[in-house]
Amino acid sequence: MSCGLVLLLLFPKFCNAQNSTQFTTHDVEAAYLYNFAKFVQWPDDKSTSSQQFSICLLGDDEFGRKLDELIADETLQGRKIVARRLSSASAAESCQIVFIGQSEEARLSKHLAALTMKPVLTVSALPQFLEHGGTIQFLFQNNRVRFAVNLASAQQAGLTLSSELLKVAVFVEGTAGKESKQ
Amino acid sequence: MSPANPAFWSRSMVHERTVAKQVLGHLVASGLLWLVSVSASGAANASSQPDQLKSLSLEELGNVEVTTVSKVPEAVWQTPAAVYVLTRDDIRRSGATTLPDLLRTVPGVDVAELQGNQWAVGIRGFNSAFSKDVLLLIDGRSTYTPLFEGVYWDVQDVLLDDVERIEIIRGPGGTIWGANAVNGVINIVTRNARDTLGTLASGSSGYVDRFNGSVREGLRHGDHLQFRLFAKGLVREDEQNVNNDRYDTWHLVHGGFRADWNPSKQDSFTAQADAYSGASGQQISIGSYAPLKQLVIDDTFSISGGDIVLNWQHSYAGGSDLHIHAYFDRTNRQGTEFGETRNTVDFDFIDHINMFLRQNLIWGAGMRFSPSTIIQTQPTVNFAPHGKTDSIYSTFLQDSFRLLPRSLALTVGSKFEYNNYTGIEIQPNARLLWNPVSHAALWAAVSRAVRTPGRLDRDLQLTDVYTIAPPILVRILGSPNFKSEDLLGYEAGYRQLLTNKLYADLAAFKNHYDKLESYGTQSFGTITTPIEGEVLNIPFANGIDGNTDGVEIAPDWKPTGWWELKGNFSHLHLDAHPRPGFSDTETATSYEGSSPHRMATLQSQLNLPHRAEFDFDYRFVSRLPAQMVERFQTMDAHASWLLDKSLRFTVSGRNMLQPHHHEFAGDNDLPVGIRRSVYGGITWTR
Repeated sequence: MSCGLVLLLLFPKFCNAQNSTQFTTHDVEAAYLYNFAKFVQWPDDKSTSSQQFSICLLGDDEFGRKLDELIADETLQGRKIVARRLSSASAAESCQIVFIGQSEEARLSKHLAALTMKPVLTVSALPQFLEHGGTIQFLFQNNRVRFAVNLASAQQAGLTLSSELLKVAVFVEGTAGKESKQ
Repeated sequence: MSPANPAFWSRSMVHERTVAKQVLGHLVASGLLWLVSVSASGAANASSQPDQLKSLSLEELGNVEVTTVSKVPEAVWQTPAAVYVLTRDDIRRSGATTLPDLLRTVPGVDVAELQGNQWAVGIRGFNSAFSKDVLLLIDGRSTYTPLFEGVYWDVQDVLLDDVERIEIIRGPGGTIWGANAVNGVINIVTRNARDTLGTLASGSSGYVDRFNGSVREGLRHGDHLQFRLFAKGLVREDEQNVNNDRYDTWHLVHGGFRADWNPSKQDSFTAQADAYSGASGQQISIGSYAPLKQLVIDDTFSISGGDIVLNWQHSYAGGSDLHIHAYFDRTNRQGTEFGETRNTVDFDFIDHINMFLRQNLIWGAGMRFSPSTIIQTQPTVNFAPHGKTDSIYSTFLQDSFRLLPRSLALTVGSKFEYNNYTGIEIQPNARLLWNPVSHAALWAAVSRAVRTPGRLDRDLQLTDVYTIAPPILVRILGSPNFKSEDLLGYEAGYRQLLTNKLYADLAAFKNHYDKLESYGTQSFGTITTPIEGEVLNIPFANGIDGNTDGVEIAPDWKPTGWWELKGNFSHLHLDAHPRPGFSDTETATSYEGSSPHRMATLQSQLNLPHRAEFDFDYRFVSRLPAQMVERFQTMDAHASWLLDKSLRFTVSGRNMLQPHHHEFAGDNDLPVGIRRSVYGGITWTR
């Protein structure tokens, strides 16, 4: 009962909304980025080349410390998960996941071209991200953050996405027959 | 010279105001105070815990409801009132160590420190040393004291890390909260015990805030019962007193617990308790008969008390729910000047029913008994009778319904309250809310609210020595005819999410006040005991009408994920004048000159690499001629660094722009200099 009597009384709606802890889209997106790591398999050479598992952010930082706090002290298969802010896509060599921010809309094609064929999971909330060759696109639906997948891009990057991830995706592009769940 | 002498009378007429003012000054300095002064929406921070999300599955993540913008809870679009919320982040990042200091960045809220342990907190005008037009609630427990008709801020102490949020509603709140929520309501909501599991220990030390320390342990028993225990202490130094008397020190120790029990999905119980003890220093001026003179002494009030709060919420299918809320509160104050012991018992129930046609009906009833005893320690300071029970019986009904299915809602309701001073008081309101598009809200409201009399207005008997030879006394007297002060308020506001990164909130108000407190007709008399002499009797009266109007603008801009800028600007116009048949222009002038006409703040919150934060806030307050306070600007700065998940270092500076500045005199002769303060602190959690 985190709802105060005061606002409940005057404005019951205020409280209904306050009853649940409120998360922002970025809170949830950060949690997804962390979670994706567990459901994606990177090519072997990539996964053993570094002691770190890097989630990289391209463009203006939308997460602030949220992502850093989320992954602080977390490891994946013995590798420490770190967040890095990139100045350009060419610095993404040692990244496992690259999140492309809202500020990069104009440069999206350029970034994706630089990352293509590299073993990197590209993620963004930019519209048309999958059409441009991105792998996972966040979608905002009904006050919830969901995601869609371009399987062809994943295969190009040499990534294997688990069936669990594909099952949860709102839709999956780039498979034979354009399998779609919605 | 006798009062029959015309020369005396003319002199007396000139000086009586001054005398009364001095007399009141004593009251103020002593903590007995009263009169007056002024002035408030916003983006509320979502207190998120990303860590909680980490353990969710992908599927669960897809079902987490999010706020569409980082800072604005969806609820503000459904709220037809000027509401602002301070979140946990705001509280921690403010660096404030006291509740009033936390409120300084809230739009339209006027926080003025009188001295190291006293604050005047006003919303939309008529501020006073006891914040008498503002109702402060802590977890639903009213902190209003009927003796001085306001808040003893020196005993309103919470462990700030336990606070979930602070909701500030500007404007009349009488329909729900009853009498004395005339200009606004401040509601402190503490965290559920399930959110405070583990250990916390924190300490800080510095100038002015010499020591603050707290420990807390949160435990659970099974999945449904959690509780926490805490203890805290504070030692505050004196501010810059006029003659370096160092009288306004303050210390307090405080312990308590909170238990939350959820035996089923439908029921939640909360039990809380607090106990505190400390001392609060003041300089007071007391009339003395033997020897006959006016004494100025440094006094220390022993302050102690506690409370027990019980709360039960039951949810029915279909979104209806029932709340039952009860508390006991004990307050003790004892000084050289006077003492008071008060026990308050309060019981409320509230039923919230979701009805057909999308109606939200809320009704409730409550009662409060508050017996108090005055311990008279000076023959010149008294409340008569010594013992009195303040009581309230109330009921209210409010319904919200949709005029258009999605975009237009009307809320109407009224409080009906019986009190032992003025009988029945009716406090209705009507509120209209229109959402032209999503993430925009236009609202308007009309409300009536009252401030009911308290013991000061009715029962005070305060005697001061005006001259020794010939012996002339001045008596300020409570009046048995003192009535409620009335407010009829009109408000409107607009809030919109202008872009993904920019939110703005605007509110405007026009309030009409009737029967405000003033001095009434004075009379001369003679006394023979305990001394022989003349006495000028000055009773309280409802001799002033007033008007206020103003606007409050509060933008919130988040240019990047790591930087947030919040600003606000408040303008207030306050006009007060004697009612027909009264002539107390001086108190009217005091009302007018005790509230800032303009206030502005700019707040910056910056997230730096390595989990460091740097924040500052700048504020400007215009002059208060009746308080002998010039306009001032100052700045607070706060830096913190989270070393690892469990250790945080903090450095905080307040009032940085000058060694000291004045904020409020409280009708005292000279205001106290509020000093620059700096402290360093460390917080450990596990």
